[in-house]
Formats: sequence, C-alpha cells, structure tokens
Amino acid sequence: MKMSNKTLNKISSFFVSLKSQPMTVVLFLCASFSIVILFLMLFFVAREGAYAFTKFGPDLLFGMQWDLESNVFGGFPLLFGSLLVTFGALVIAIPIGVSTAIFVSEVLPFHLRDPIKSIIELLASIPSVLYGFIGLLIVVPLMADIFGLPSGQTALTASLVLSLMTIPTIVSVSGEIISAVPKDYKEAALGLGATKWETIKSVVLPIAKSGILASIMLGFGRAIGETIAVSMISGNQAHVASSFLDAVYTIPAFIATHMGEAAVGSLEYSALFGLGLILLIITFIVNTLADVVVKRGVQR
Amino acid sequence: MSYEDKIDIRQLNIWFGEKHVIRGVDLKIKANAVTAIMGPSGCGKSTLLRAFNRMNDVIKTSKTTGDVFIGEKNVYENGTNVYDLRRQVGMVFQKPNPLPKSIYENVAFGPKIHKMAKGKALDKVVEKSLRSAALWDEVKDRLNDSAFDLSGGQQQRLCIARALAVDPEVILMDEPCSALDPAATAKIEQLIRILSSDYTVVIVTHNMQQASRVSDYTVFLYLGKIIEQGKTKGIFENPQHELTEQYITGEFG
Amino acid sequence: MVICLLAFFWIVATLFTGFGTLNVDLLTTSALKGGYFEMIVGTVYLFLGAAAIAGPIGVFAAIYLVEYAPGGKLTRIIDQAINNLAGVPSIIIGLFGYTLFSRQLGFGISLLSGWLTLALMILPIVIRGSEEAIRIVPTSFKQAALGLGATKWKAISLTTLIAAMPGIVTSVILGIARVAGETAAILFTSSVIITRGLPTSPFEPVMALSFNIYVKIVARGESPENVFGIALILFFIVVAFSLVAIILRIYYRRKQPWLS
Ligand SMILES: Nc1ncnc2c1ncn2[C@@H]1O[C@H](COP(=O)(O)OP(=O)(O)OP(=O)(O)O)[C@@H](O)[C@H]1O
Ligand SMILES: [Mg+2]
Repeated sequence: MKMSNKTLNKISSFFVSLKSQPMTVVLFLCASFSIVILFLMLFFVAREGAYAFTKFGPDLLFGMQWDLESNVFGGFPLLFGSLLVTFGALVIAIPIGVSTAIFVSEVLPFHLRDPIKSIIELLASIPSVLYGFIGLLIVVPLMADIFGLPSGQTALTASLVLSLMTIPTIVSVSGEIISAVPKDYKEAALGLGATKWETIKSVVLPIAKSGILASIMLGFGRAIGETIAVSMISGNQAHVASSFLDAVYTIPAFIATHMGEAAVGSLEYSALFGLGLILLIITFIVNTLADVVVKRGVQR
Repeated sequence: MSYEDKIDIRQLNIWFGEKHVIRGVDLKIKANAVTAIMGPSGCGKSTLLRAFNRMNDVIKTSKTTGDVFIGEKNVYENGTNVYDLRRQVGMVFQKPNPLPKSIYENVAFGPKIHKMAKGKALDKVVEKSLRSAALWDEVKDRLNDSAFDLSGGQQQRLCIARALAVDPEVILMDEPCSALDPAATAKIEQLIRILSSDYTVVIVTHNMQQASRVSDYTVFLYLGKIIEQGKTKGIFENPQHELTEQYITGEFG
Repeated sequence: MVICLLAFFWIVATLFTGFGTLNVDLLTTSALKGGYFEMIVGTVYLFLGAAAIAGPIGVFAAIYLVEYAPGGKLTRIIDQAINNLAGVPSIIIGLFGYTLFSRQLGFGISLLSGWLTLALMILPIVIRGSEEAIRIVPTSFKQAALGLGATKWKAISLTTLIAAMPGIVTSVILGIARVAGETAAILFTSSVIITRGLPTSPFEPVMALSFNIYVKIVARGESPENVFGIALILFFIVVAFSLVAIILRIYYRRKQPWLS
C-alpha cells in the first residue's frame, strides 16, 4: 500500500507530540492495550490451531467425525449444534427483548424505568455457571416432563436458558438507541393524531432499526460464544441433532470439556484451538458489523 | 499611579480552523489600571483575552500569529513556559467555576501545583488571598466546607482569590458578573477597583454601565478588529467612530 | 418485559428453596473437611487481583479516549478494539490466557494467570464506565486548573479524575460483578478442584466457587442439589456487587452538585 506524504506527516507529527508529553505516552499505551491483546489473541490461538488446519483444511469445520482413535477431527456436528442452539435462543430472545426495550423506553412511566433497567442489569451479571445450575435444577426436569423424554438435556433446553442470557444484551443496546430517537419526531407524529402504538411503529422503529439490528448481532455473538451454561444443560452429544428435542454439543462447550484431556501439542489439542479460532473470527465479524451498523444508523 | 504599558500586542491574528477570529490587533494595555474590552457577541473578546495567557492553545484548531508582550517578554516566543505564564497572568471565568474541593483547597490549589508554599506559609497565602478578594470575613470559620456551599457571588470571589493566590501580575476576567445578581455584581465591581492598584486588570463585559463604572480604559472590538480605544471617559462621552456610538447607544449588540 | 421480571423472581425463588442446604459453619470450614472456605477466599482473591490490574489500565485508557485522543482513524480503531474485546467469548479468553500466561510465560495454572486472564474481561467494562464518568465532569474544573498554570495532565488528574472517581469505582465494582462467577476463563488458567489451604503465592493454583460447581456437575456428573450451597454463595456475592454498583451510581448521580 502506498502512503501519501500527508498521512506520513500526520503520523510523524503524532509521534513527535507523544514524545513531548511523557504522560500522554502512558495513556496512549493503555488505550492501545486492547488492540495489542486482540492481535496477540489471534496470533496465539491461530498458532496453536495451525497444525490441525494444515492437516484437515475446511474438514476441521465440515468433517462429520471427531475420533481420537483414528486421529480424525471434524467439527460439523459441533458447528451445527452451535448454530441450532443459537438460532433457537434468538428466536425466543428477539421478540421478547425488542418488545421489552420498546416498553421500557417508550411506554413505562419515567420513575419505573431505572428500577427495571437495574433488574435487567442484574440479570446480565448473573454468571453463566449459575444459569447452567438453574437450568439443570428447573428447566431440564420440566422439559423431560413436558415432552416425555428420558433426559431433559436438549437443544431446546439450552436455547431457552440461552435466550434468558441474551435478552439483557438486546434490551440494553436497543433500548439505548430507541430512547435516543429525538422527541420532536415523536411529538410530530402524536400531534398528527397518531396513537402511541402507531407512533412507535411508524416513527420510532424505522429510526431505531439499525440499533435493533446491532443489538441482535451482539446477542448472536453472546449466544454463540456461551460455554458454561450450555455445556451443563445441552446433553453434550456430538452428533447432528435431528430435532430441538435432541441432545447437542456446541463448539465452546466441546472445547471446555475436551481441553483438559487433550495432550498438549497433540492433533486433538490443535484441533480444539482451530475450533476456537473459528469462533473468535465469527465473533469478531459479528461485533465489527454491529458497530458499523450502529455508526451508519447514527450518521443518517 | 504609574501608567506604563504592561501588555503590548502587535499584529495579533487568531484563527479557529478556517475562521479568522482576531484580525490584526494592535493594542497596549496600561499597568495598574482596569481595561475593559467591549463589543457585540461573537466579535472575539474572549478569544483576544485568552491570547494573553495562551489559553487558546488548549483548543486544538486554534492558530495564532503576532506578538503579545507581557512586560518585556514575548509570550508567543518559542520556549515560553506557558504554565508559568498562566501563573503570572491569572484568569477568572464567566461562570464561577470552583473546584469540587473545600474552600481552603480551592485557594491552595495553585500554590500547591506550583510548589510555592506549604504548611503554615500556605495557610498565610490562603488567608491573604481571601482577604484581597474580600471574602475572608465571610468564610474564615468554614474553610473546610465545600466550595459549592457558597453563593454564586461568593464563588466568583473565591475564584478571584484562587487566581490571586499564585501571585499574578495580570488578571483577566471574562464577563465575571454575567451569572450574578446585582448585589453580588456590585461587590465584584468594587473589588475590581481595589485590585487595580496592585494588578493590571483586563475585563471583558457586555454591560456598558459596568464598563463605565469600573474601567480606566476601554477597547471597542468589532468583527475581530479594534474600532476604537482610549480613556473610558472619552469613549463614552465622545465616541470617534460611528460603530462605537451605535453600540454605546444600544442600537446593536 | 414481564417475562424478564418473572424469570428474575423465579431464579431468586428457586435459589431460596435451597437455603436449607446452606450451613453457616461450612463457610469457614476447609475444603479438605467438606467446607467452602478456600473456594470463597479463592474467588475473592481472583476478582480482587483482576480488578487491581484492569482498574488502572482501564482508567488511563478512558482518560486518553476522552481527553487526549485526536479523533480520526486511530481513535476509531482503538474504540472498535475495545468493543471487540468485550465481545470475545470467555472460553476463547480462557484459551488465550492458558497459551500466553500459563504456558508461554510459564506462570502455569496459577492465581497470577487467572488474574491476568480475568483482567482482560474486566478491562472493557472499566474503560466504558470510566469514559462515561469522565465525560459528565464539567470542563470548567479542568479550565480552572489550566488557567492557574497546571499542565494538562495535572489539571485532569487533580480535578476531572477526582470528580469522576465515584463513577470509576462503580465501573470497577460492576466489572467485579461480571467476573466473580466467571468459569470458562479460569477453567484452564488458574483453578483446581481442591487445594491444601489457601495459595501462599501468586504462582499457586486456587479454588473457586464457579469452578467447583461446573466441574462437579459436568465432569463428575453430580446432581445439582449437591452444589446448591456453593451456588447460593456465588449468587450472593455477584448480586451484592451488582447492587452496590447500581446503588452507588444512583446515589452519586443525586449527590454531585454540578450534575444538578
Ligand atoms: N473553540 C472554537 N472553535 C471554533 N470557533 C470558535 C471557538 N471559540 C470561539 N469560536 C468562534 O470565534 C468567534 C469569537 O468567539 P469569542 O468567544 O471570542 O466571542 P466573544 O466576543 O467572547 O462572544 P461572547 O460575547 O458571546 O462571549 C465566534 O464567532 C465563535 O463562534
Ligand atoms: Mg465571550
């Protein structure tokens, strides 16, 4: 890539300005720390996963078999499990999350907003191991009863609990955007005789569209990376599930349960990192896109 | 009273980005006197004032050319220590801006950061500054209270005391009374008169009566240029320039 | 909305049914005798250390972003990186911490590796919270200090930063609430199922409440009733920190005179 003189000048004057103020350098380094960590993360996870990638190529992700004895590692059942559980969770979480966000920031009386937001925040800070624990205690037996299954540890169980964990993300991100819609617009619509619901539908939602989309993407990133809760309640069976009532294994749950046994440096060890790398890249893409979508929305 | 020049400005130009805000200003400001800068909103009064202690440097888009001599020294010379300059040229802002600290700590803030005094000596500096700002009697029993507990007028005098505590030679005031009620304004005006015997005071004001009450000299600024300057009495009684006359008689501004 | 509330109360109600299993004596009994002592203290060690590492870095980063950053591309990239870091799944943070801290740097399965790994999860929370806290401080404080001849750093650190401190502390507490029950990130880096007493140096492994719940259920197949006590303690710790953060925030919003 060719750099113009102007950018070069800019960059050099930037470094000169850093030099004259030592404290600025320290602050700048702290701020750049996140970038450094992300690069290191990509580097190390990729380094450990390289062996499996060179060996299997795309089969690491699309191969049907994960077999320690024949040293063949294909993650398709896991990828499928992850997507299935995440899809199920979003199908539940999106309508509830978005309507909650609308309700909290448009309908709810002012003095109730902060307490409700606080409860949602509390819900968000409950650790996943406790969600898994509660799922195991309540949802799993419930599922077994309702559907008459021998075990209630199914994809649907995981989706249900996961949706509960995703809702706070969707509510807080899209709620923020919805409440940022300028009052003038709403008042204009109300002034024309639109009802509250018509105003929300015709004015608020179109403007907040990008924010809601971004919140769904972030929710997706959350859900697909969730490890502990899912691995406690999804049954952990590495096969391509035939229905939501089947047990499944997801990529992060699989990594969590197999890392301990895989010999360091072995092909399986590397394959686990390979799966991790794929997960990392997926969340990178989703998070970056979410940011872009929000910024686009704000500019308009 | 000695009326020698304290500040000497030569061909000062200031831009904010593309916007040319101060356009070739030449101005001399007398020592130990009060000089008022007047002019309609947005003409560059604050910008001109902030050039004297290089507070415009803080704004990234600003660019300054020309010279400002304070005493013998050109403050826009390379190698000027702006931090020492700002100690020497104190500033009082439009809205009283006490720090979220006690009354004592507010006044002690400057001497502390410049390591000018500590312990007993610092107590003395604080007392002296509060006395000079005519605030001592009102606060001497509650120096450890939060500065926010004071009234607006008291807060502004606290800010003046804070500026005096670092032993400045010049005091810049940017509409120091615009956020205050008439009684508090009267007190500050009185204080400004007293301060002028020890300090060079430059005050920006929108208020014509205020300018005529407190200042010895007046500068009329319009669109970044000086239209007229001279003794306050002369300008108010016998303005030379049409614009000045219109401004004083309240036809615009 | 209603579902959220119901879910929340349902969780709380269920947890309370397990109250009977919580024996106060167990809190101070060593794990070797079936108690929870080392797990509780280990959990506290872990999040305190992580907060101590992430706190200063996060605050400095926030100061840079609010007060120093020139805007433009580089700043945008930094901003994006912080969001991305916040979105990395904790299992990947765990894999990374294991590779870099435990193996590459040779810290092994230890408290230190756990601190560093968890710090990466607290960092974005502290940065975002501190940015917000610094942003709402009026610039007039900084102006006053600059007008008195303070350098930029002195003006910010002696006025803006001090005024922002309550908000900053709140963000650190919130960060602690988010990692106190973290499991995936300490799975490979710092925790073991049992230790003899507390760690005596940062290079020793620790026990943790979350780790114990997870391993007992998933690896050992124990029934959830067996870990009810541990789960309750963890729940109380997390909720306590979240509540403190929330209350602090509301309290200081009301108290700071310059915000009214
Ligand atoms: N930070 C800045 N960036 C860009 N333009 C600025 C900045 N500060 C001031 N200006 C512009 O410079 C011009 C002069 O501003 P200045 O504040 O000096 O005016 P003023 O005479 O003090 O006005 P007022 O009486 O309203 O205080 C104005 O047009 C203003 O919009
Ligand atoms: Mg002004």
